[in-house]
Amino acid sequence: MDIDDILADLDRESTPQENLDLQSLTRSWVAERVAPELIPYPEELMERVLERIARQIEVIEEQTGSMDPKTNFKLIVIQTELERFKFLVRSFLRARIAKIDAHPLHYTNVSATTTITPSLLSLFEHQYLTAHQSLLSTHYRTSFLSQFPTQLQRLDDTTGGISMIDKPDGDAAVFVRVLRDCGVVAVEGTDVRCEMNKGDVFVVRWSAVRGRVLGGDVELI
Amino acid sequence: MALPLPPGLTPSEVAFLCEMELVTVIPRQRLESLQLLGGTTPALIPPYRNNIPLWLALLLKKQRRANISPPPWLTQNSLQAILDFENEHSSTFSPPPRLPPTSSSTSSISPISPPFLPSSTVDAPADALPYHWLELAEILLEAAPDDFEDADLVRRLCRDLRETRMSKLRAGVDVLEAGGGVQMNGVGGMEVAEGRSFITGVIDGLRKISASKEQARRERESDERENGYPGTQEEDEDML
Repeated sequence: MDIDDILADLDRESTPQENLDLQSLTRSWVAERVAPELIPYPEELMERVLERIARQIEVIEEQTGSMDPKTNFKLIVIQTELERFKFLVRSFLRARIAKIDAHPLHYTNVSATTTITPSLLSLFEHQYLTAHQSLLSTHYRTSFLSQFPTQLQRLDDTTGGISMIDKPDGDAAVFVRVLRDCGVVAVEGTDVRCEMNKGDVFVVRWSAVRGRVLGGDVELI
Repeated sequence: MALPLPPGLTPSEVAFLCEMELVTVIPRQRLESLQLLGGTTPALIPPYRNNIPLWLALLLKKQRRANISPPPWLTQNSLQAILDFENEHSSTFSPPPRLPPTSSSTSSISPISPPFLPSSTVDAPADALPYHWLELAEILLEAAPDDFEDADLVRRLCRDLRETRMSKLRAGVDVLEAGGGVQMNGVGGMEVAEGRSFITGVIDGLRKISASKEQARRERESDERENGYPGTQEEDEDML
């Protein structure tokens, strides 16, 4: 750790929480749009952001009455920014719903078997997943599954060596940027060894960098 | 309500990201400091220049409340020098601006990265293209051509740069293989967006072709580890 690092530390600590939250929300959004599987839900971050959005809407409602042109322009700026934030949050949540919809049984299993914190799904996402899945399976059963032989009626059959449950492709290639030196990263089953130094950009398998992305040493782009 | 888009950012999403970049403006009217969701904006007092996010700068520019100063790399001399570098080195992109020193790895605060780096303000380095170079140049040339000394020349140089770099990206397809692990330092945001589906498609396709070979190798390696061959232990740790 040299003097630059110490200065950087001080610099980062003095950055207001709002800026940091915007940065982490943007990073989470990009990661969720790019990664092949769900990334744990940033509970605290989302709580702070949503609360701030609600407060900002109140501010706008209070000031809309004034006809002063100066305040009016300020309001335009505030509203423009609010819309940008809402887009970020919405796109982030919608990308997550798309992933939940694509592999519902897989995420039901994962959220039932793991108790890691932060949890993979938010409370609402979990409710959505359970409700949606039970509606779907009831529908399937009443419309055609009930006419099948009993041993063929399950939707999550794993016997016979082949699992019916579709999983996201964990080995999909992703673009990453290295934020902290990570040393050599190996891709399992191949000869690929990448020396990841700060600032490098790589195309690499998601499974090889997953842990480092969650740890914040590497970011998806 | 689920997002009906494939993985990867669309060009308009990349432009949205680019609008968070800081740029330098010279205000023509006063604007007080505002409490925004993403932090407080600096008070704008003419004729002192200040750094604000691009989206705000564009709004002010549209209402003729400010002028935008183009970043130093977006000038004829710098672009020409970078273009020469790109032409001389046929296999690599010109190096990106240096990331700022990261705080120590124990710190819980994660390092800052584009688009939040001040890589497009007037104090930015003149000899390196930042991550969002293409988008930023396009947006500025579109919205504020009168703030450039010679907008047409800059536009032409940007197009040359883009073509040179795209041909490198296409030529780079030769080195793609099933494991990935291709280094692409200096690649731009829009270039990633354009090349993503093709590049990841090739890598994923190659992986599926060689999947059985890889599976066999994985089994052999885990056998070797169980039998206690020395030297394989370290690799195992890297994979965690």
